[in-house]
Amino acid sequence: MDSSDYKRKVEKAIPYLLLLPALLFILVFKIYPIVSVTVNSFIRNDQFTFRTYSILFRDKIFWNSLWTTLKMNLVMIPLQILISLILALLVSNPVKGVGVFRSIFYIPVTMAISVASVTWGLMMNVNNGVFNSILSVFGIGRQGFFTDPKQALWCIVIMASWKGCGYWMMYILAGLKGIDISLYESARLDGAGYFTILTKVTLPLIRHAMLFVVVANTSANMLLFAPTKLITEGGPQNSTNVLMYEVYKSAFRNGNMSRAGAITTILLVLIVAMVIIQFKMMNKDVEE
Amino acid sequence: MKNQTKATLSHTLLYCVFVMISIIALFPIFYIILASFRSDAEIFKYALPFSVKTIVPVDWTFDNYRIIFTEFKFGTPLLNTFIVVGILVPINILVASIAGYAFAFYQFKGKNALFSIFIVSFMVPTDSIALPLYSFVNQLGLVDSYWGLILPSVSSGLAMFLFTQFFRGIPKNFLEAARIDGANLRQTFTKIVIPLSTPVVITAALMIFVTEWNNYLWPLLVTRSPDVRTIQVALAYFKDENETFWSYIYAAASISAIVPVLLFLPLQKYFVQGVTSSGLKG
Repeated sequence: MDSSDYKRKVEKAIPYLLLLPALLFILVFKIYPIVSVTVNSFIRNDQFTFRTYSILFRDKIFWNSLWTTLKMNLVMIPLQILISLILALLVSNPVKGVGVFRSIFYIPVTMAISVASVTWGLMMNVNNGVFNSILSVFGIGRQGFFTDPKQALWCIVIMASWKGCGYWMMYILAGLKGIDISLYESARLDGAGYFTILTKVTLPLIRHAMLFVVVANTSANMLLFAPTKLITEGGPQNSTNVLMYEVYKSAFRNGNMSRAGAITTILLVLIVAMVIIQFKMMNKDVEE
Repeated sequence: MKNQTKATLSHTLLYCVFVMISIIALFPIFYIILASFRSDAEIFKYALPFSVKTIVPVDWTFDNYRIIFTEFKFGTPLLNTFIVVGILVPINILVASIAGYAFAFYQFKGKNALFSIFIVSFMVPTDSIALPLYSFVNQLGLVDSYWGLILPSVSSGLAMFLFTQFFRGIPKNFLEAARIDGANLRQTFTKIVIPLSTPVVITAALMIFVTEWNNYLWPLLVTRSPDVRTIQVALAYFKDENETFWSYIYAAASISAIVPVLLFLPLQKYFVQGVTSSGLKG
């Protein structure tokens, strides 16, 4: 083997060598756990079985928890995306000082979900919370917030949206900044109004950013767990008992690893299914 | 003339909306910071009826901060978090940037497949696999150690994605010129590519920092003793053990909230650049 041949081989190996560390970390700490949890949820006493699932599917608490998770996300995901889009449209106006407001809108994102949970839990406290103090000014009586089975889940949605929207705003803003301004101008000359431009020009042009936001937002919110753990502990009357909290309880309170593994698998399948649907829907939009 | 009035009016309206959203965004943070400077008794006393005193302290006190650091040893989790982040951020940046370099500047077999694996892996958040990851890290004997906290977080697909997209924007002939001048791979990377990539390095570092600083579920699972607990876990324990001492929680929460803000504000210009160059445009 002459030296130039050897050199070419080394050249060819370089990209793989550069990727090796990242790939190792992903294989060991991401892919292996996913495969192992899925496989293990089908194994009991070294045998392949659906038993874990058949027990789970007869479990009322599981179905209730699944419904809670879906109900919360069917409201929260569209709500957050709408708010983030409005925020991004607002801060994409090239007015003086807009950078300051952009930073302010992003500040809740830098707050930890655990801190946000604890803080909102205290602010929305039934007896001494500042929110009840403020409401009393408007003559609104004491609200139960996290202690009211009808309100608790929606309080979590409000808190999570307060914390999350600034993050998604940044990605939508990145998309908006890539749009050629002359496109707006020509649309305006054609007599298009604000909403026509928004739906016919702006939204189709930021579809990549939107797709990313929709997908990433879905997987983040489906796993939202800290508010339940820190504020409500699943209650009142199981009204905030999301699947991720069931996983946590099964595994670390009741030591039932196979149940926890099965719910994790179901959550992963749910997220993947939702993401596939979103890809299909948004790609169709592009074709039309 | 008429148009000008209309423009001024819509600007005023826009600023009004900005200010309103700012109040919503900042209120909880201002509230906890102010509450951290008052005693429990004071917070409860002025809760109702609502007045300025409900929010602004009457008797300012630093006692809460003094007590959480002396009696509750809040310094330990704070230091732990800085150690974890201090090790994690450079490793993660290195791993992500060289992977991004490979994707941006090389053509090789299986490139698309590998890139998809990376992207999918970052779509699957660590929290969803926390349970099997815990069993695995437990087998490795890393539970209750710094490395147990650090290693699973290294594979930030988001950082790698940002680097790849940013590097793609660097003209290839910069690299050619360096090669002709006899620079080797390491020199090209450290002397040419990285200096050109300040915004994305800062963006990635900030994102990794904030994610790790705020990480809750994983540290909760993987730390057992107070010696390695990170800030968010310590904060959660505060609440369990001291249901009634709100003001201590407020003080600890203020520290947790203010550190990322202090880092983010001076660097926000780079952050916007870094995200904008991520290729999510159009």
